[in-house]
Amino acid sequence: MKKYIIFLVLVAGLGVVLNSFLNSYIQAIFISFIINAIMALSLNFITGLADQFSLGHAGLMALGAYTSAVINKEFLGDQWMFIPVGVLAGACIAGVAGYLVSLPSFRLKGDYLAIVTLGFAEIVRVVILNWSHVGGARGYNGIRKFPDFLLSYGFAVLLLFITFMVMHRLKVSWFGRNLWAINEDDIAAEVMGLEIAKTKRYAFTISSFFAGLGGGFYAHHLGYISPGSFGFIVSVQILIITVLGGLGSLSGSIIAAALLTFLPEALRSVQSGGLDLRMIIYPILLILMMILRPKGLFGRREVYEWLPARLKTKWGIKQ
Amino acid sequence: MIKPVKISVKNLGVNYGMIKAIKGISFEFNAGEITALIGSNGAGKTTTLKALSGLLGHTGEVFYNDLNISSLSAPERLQHKMALCPEGRGIFPNLTVTENLMLGAYLEKSKSKIAELIDQQFSMFSRLGERRAQVAGTLSGGEQQMLAIARALMSEPLMLMLDEPSLGLAPVIIEQIFQKFEELKNRGIGLLIVEQNAHLALEVAARAYVLETGTITLNGKGSDLLSDPRVVEAYLT
Repeated sequence: MKKYIIFLVLVAGLGVVLNSFLNSYIQAIFISFIINAIMALSLNFITGLADQFSLGHAGLMALGAYTSAVINKEFLGDQWMFIPVGVLAGACIAGVAGYLVSLPSFRLKGDYLAIVTLGFAEIVRVVILNWSHVGGARGYNGIRKFPDFLLSYGFAVLLLFITFMVMHRLKVSWFGRNLWAINEDDIAAEVMGLEIAKTKRYAFTISSFFAGLGGGFYAHHLGYISPGSFGFIVSVQILIITVLGGLGSLSGSIIAAALLTFLPEALRSVQSGGLDLRMIIYPILLILMMILRPKGLFGRREVYEWLPARLKTKWGIKQ
Repeated sequence: MIKPVKISVKNLGVNYGMIKAIKGISFEFNAGEITALIGSNGAGKTTTLKALSGLLGHTGEVFYNDLNISSLSAPERLQHKMALCPEGRGIFPNLTVTENLMLGAYLEKSKSKIAELIDQQFSMFSRLGERRAQVAGTLSGGEQQMLAIARALMSEPLMLMLDEPSLGLAPVIIEQIFQKFEELKNRGIGLLIVEQNAHLALEVAARAYVLETGTITLNGKGSDLLSDPRVVEAYLT
């Protein structure tokens, strides 16, 4: 109990600091860090734990974002109080879509999921692009935002907390163990009686739900979304974060999200004249990190596993 | 005593695309007996086991006593108490010994039953008990093989199919493992052992089959085959 109070105080303190001492630019970066973290966690669940390569998380994110934005504006009277309802609806739609995509994909073994999800994300994007009711290529404008930063921040942290806790509970449960087993040796897992396709379907559905959650909040954070915000490159960025944090390391995903969100912004200062050093330093850092830590920053372990044993028992962390 | 069970395989065939890997073989094995399936590389031994455990689609029929189980999937065959201990051990290297065993009892829902089964394996394989919290990938080869067998036993099989249990192990360890097989046999479990190490397999087997490029060329009592000039020439010299 005590650790949750400490956590809450820290989060609130950070919120107050961000709110009163830092400008809206840094505040916005902080929120996008949280969105990236949610997306990376979502992808990590399917790619890291179950070893199923997905390149379509931008599509799921788009579904969540558009659903949430449209529901809030057209059915919930454009009120900021109802943003969580819309975000939840967006997550559910993404979850359902994820389940439908997984139905045919997991009948096959191998990397077919990557191809199927890549196609799915493109279909979503092109449908939105040609759907004038949601703005088509112009994008969807005037989405209700939270009236002030602290609310937005609070909701974002809550979403991240829920995402992390759910995934973490699943990771250490029998379900997570089944995913590991499939990841490591699917033939042996099948011989144990595991229904591989079904387990992967559940995992992908859960992953899709949280991708939709991140997408829904993204819409209400920026207030404007367009098909261009959910292109292929977004899926790749999420993948980079996940791989850098370590496939299978949930806390690693959050830390990598922080790194890869703040780093490009911090490097803005090295832009001088016509020379854009930022786009040289950033990729070099990525390459260096992959050379030095080829399994990602934390491999498949969680950050807290490095804590001294005394603290672990004190905080009730299972070893 | 466990009820008598007999698995009969009738005209089993497996195709990999256009290639016929198994060309209609028939054999049977019983609970409480060790049956050996020997043959050289590429004879189709592993394919036969995969087909029997439901991992590969096959033609022909597999009977569990009188029940035709040819169309059942791998999990369904496991419910009929047929377990496979896959080639190359197939343990989960990043999970602990206990977690590996727990996965073996995947179809068992009762927690107390699972705990009881785990204790049972630890009393049979005491080395595993000592290393229960260790990550399976850090075990020695012999210990990993024991873990793979213990994990297969977690589903309480009546019929245990073992794919190359002696692969890559020191002779002393192989001896230990084959002693365990005798123990299992005495408990009433039927073992189907696929081996390249023909001598070893024939010594313990009540009945043995020789598989050559997808067909069974010889069968008989293990001790008879051991002295059969054709077997001696092909596999034992």
